[in-house]
Amino acid sequence: MTMTTSSPRELPHQPWGRVRQSRRAADRMMKIIATGFTFTAIFVLFWILGMLVVKGIGGLSLATFTAVTPGPGTEGGGLANAIVGSFVLTFLGIAIATPIGVLAGTWLAEYGRGSKLANLIRFINDILLSAPSILIGLFVYVILVEPFRGYSGWAGGVALGIIAIPVIVRTTEDMLSLVPSHLREAGAALGAPPSVVITSVTWRAAKAGMVTGILLALARIAGETAPLLFTALNNNFWFSPTLVGGVSNLPVTIYQFASAPYENWQQLAWAGSLIITVSILVLSLVARRIVAGSK
Amino acid sequence: MTAATDMTSIPGATPIVRKAPKATFDLVFRNASFAAALLVLVLLAAIMVSMVIGGWPAFREFGLGFITSSVWDTQNDQYGAWPAIVGTLSTALIALVIGVPLSLGIAVYLTQLAPAWFKKPVATAIELLAAVPSIIYGMWGLFVFVPLFAAYVQIPLSNIVEGMPIVGTVLYSRSPSGLGIFTAGIILAFMIVPFIASITRDMLEQIPSVLRESAYGIGATTWEVVRHVLVPQAGVSIIGAVMLGLGRALGETMAVTFVVGNANRLSASILDPGSTIASRIANEFNEALGLQLNALIALGCILFFVTFVVLVIARLLVARVKRY
Amino acid sequence: MSMLSTLELSPQSLDAEAPVRIAVKNLDFYYGEHKALKNINLDFRDRHVTALIGPSGCGKSTLLRIFNRIYSLYPEQRAEGEIMLDGRNIISNDVDVNELRSRVGMVFQKPTPFPMSIYDNVAFGIRLYEKPPKSELDDRVEGALRRAALWDEVKDKLKSSGMGLSGGQQQRLCIARTIAQKPEVILFDEPTSALDPISTGKIEDLLEQLKSDFTIAIVTHNMQQAARISQYTAFMYLGEVIEFAPTNTIFMNPAKKQTQDYVTGRFG
Repeated sequence: MTMTTSSPRELPHQPWGRVRQSRRAADRMMKIIATGFTFTAIFVLFWILGMLVVKGIGGLSLATFTAVTPGPGTEGGGLANAIVGSFVLTFLGIAIATPIGVLAGTWLAEYGRGSKLANLIRFINDILLSAPSILIGLFVYVILVEPFRGYSGWAGGVALGIIAIPVIVRTTEDMLSLVPSHLREAGAALGAPPSVVITSVTWRAAKAGMVTGILLALARIAGETAPLLFTALNNNFWFSPTLVGGVSNLPVTIYQFASAPYENWQQLAWAGSLIITVSILVLSLVARRIVAGSK
Repeated sequence: MTAATDMTSIPGATPIVRKAPKATFDLVFRNASFAAALLVLVLLAAIMVSMVIGGWPAFREFGLGFITSSVWDTQNDQYGAWPAIVGTLSTALIALVIGVPLSLGIAVYLTQLAPAWFKKPVATAIELLAAVPSIIYGMWGLFVFVPLFAAYVQIPLSNIVEGMPIVGTVLYSRSPSGLGIFTAGIILAFMIVPFIASITRDMLEQIPSVLRESAYGIGATTWEVVRHVLVPQAGVSIIGAVMLGLGRALGETMAVTFVVGNANRLSASILDPGSTIASRIANEFNEALGLQLNALIALGCILFFVTFVVLVIARLLVARVKRY
Repeated sequence: MSMLSTLELSPQSLDAEAPVRIAVKNLDFYYGEHKALKNINLDFRDRHVTALIGPSGCGKSTLLRIFNRIYSLYPEQRAEGEIMLDGRNIISNDVDVNELRSRVGMVFQKPTPFPMSIYDNVAFGIRLYEKPPKSELDDRVEGALRRAALWDEVKDKLKSSGMGLSGGQQQRLCIARTIAQKPEVILFDEPTSALDPISTGKIEDLLEQLKSDFTIAIVTHNMQQAARISQYTAFMYLGEVIEFAPTNTIFMNPAKKQTQDYVTGRFG
């Protein structure tokens, strides 16, 4: 059915090759620069990870996980109290932040949706999300350390909790907003009151995303140092089970040991850095996997 | 139907005992979630109030001089915030100057240039850069970057610029240890890159592909499409992303504390040691007493209001685009 | 056959001796492994409107998107065969795609004003390839806007954003932007599917005038539109050209049963 090109008259056309060299050069330059920048950032990531492995792996031994942090001038030692202390503080923070964050995110997505108050709270939450963590430490010092005349694990946990809350609020709201409204309507149509619909239908539908939010919050606070400086402080002993008084923890231990004049302290600081970074990166990767899997 | 008169067989005639779900749980749940949401507002207000009250003795003692004075003398209880304010602003500014082009380049690479199979690993790597704790950046900065920077940048540069007008002051380091304002700015740049880059990438990806196609369709090169169409289309939200990075750079503590040098004096050279508000608080807080403690909280108060303003502007600009 | 009687066919302004602007020979196209176009052979006559019709998924938009190689933005898509334009096979790698796109303009389904002023929208494509003095640039912009029947509506607000115009105005702005570049071919990808009937009418009038200067290829799912504005029509189905002939023939006297079924609305 093709038309035959019976009379191929030569059509007038402009000669090819009109793209100016300067345009091509600018384009190529931009591509090289953008690619170079990206690889610079990736290089820095691997540089940091490589540094941690090279310097930290030598400090890892059984004693690292069983012995207490050494005092000044003491040989050997480990990070056992700091590791356990970090676990306690981090989980205390998450235990405080999870109910508050999930409930607040739920209110924003389910009850307050579209209201002026909800918009304001969301806005303020976004600001808290990026607020400098050292200010949270100062705040907790003013409200919990100064009045009770002493550092405590509780203050440290509260400080970490305050940092975790906005992360959980944000992800909870985002994930609940993705739940299609016909699910809620179907629940309500069975006569279930809003609270039941939310807890047994909406939350369930958004479960994976909400768990991701909590894991991300965990990853965020696990390495926080600044807010612990003036709240949980740090020391070289096992902490009291009441969490009153200083509670040893990895980040502040790393901070104090890293530039100390004792070789075993420096070695432990590197080992601690390796442990904490690997844990956090694994946690972040797991959280991302959950999100990817739920989609 | 023989049972036509038998009323009990009609459905509904026997009262089915319906147990209404407890209304109390509904009420409690609703109020609890509302209280939790309000707590977010209360938190921010409480932080603000506690900073103002905690810093008040210092503000009252020194007045406006607290901001403008360069003296930080614990012996005589004289405190001025100026060097720390300048240090905070200049490290953040250096971080932006280095970090923003890096971030935009990465966002462009991820959205326009990367081969499909490569996008995900690169994006993951960039996001992991954000997950690395601040203190680890500090370790890397102090033990790896600082010696290299001193040997290969600071010392040669100082030799070159020595005696020159202006650059001889701004870029000359009196003690080329590698520590200083500029080093802190570089480390900060890598810390804010993942944030700015991933927000910018999201903004560029939200642009409908038909707009991108029609820009290419008119014969524009990738660079021209990015510069004249995609970036203007993403518009102010990119500035918002940059402001978010700025907010982070202003308040970053541990990494800066490791590498900034922690000098109390103000130097005219950006290669010399200095201090930022956050680094000074981190350094001195645990030994501080009396008025010094108040002065440090007052520093925190200044940091709070500066970052608050930056973050408000950032969020307003970023939110603007979502309405598209 | 009742449908055919309602079609208003374009006047037979067809010049059978018109030279060929685009010659497609043995063209195949792939989305990854999937072969989406099979052995396409078509000639597009200079200064004629050629319509590509067919049920959705038949490959008509895919074919159109090859002529300016916009598909090459997506690495998994590739074309094989020959498309001759201005003495070059445009799907070979040594053709500069940017320059090709300045010769083969495209108007998309949805209006796509760039985030800049109305004036700059039209001047954008000119500035990429030429550096005309200001007065000449002004003339070119005005001329293009006049050709696109938009000048009177925007002449007092050339500096305001192109995004502030109505949908139909935006689409005419995109046409002005395309013709300002003086391309040889203009591709229209369902240009009126997002528009109301009045705006659609204006665009169709425009197409009628534009064909005196440009070779036009248009994809449309609207058969009446194809009948009204085109001189040649290609009917496509499942990635193949089933029938290609003057529009009157396709609609009044198609050679293939499938074509007849489609134009009479029996499927598709």
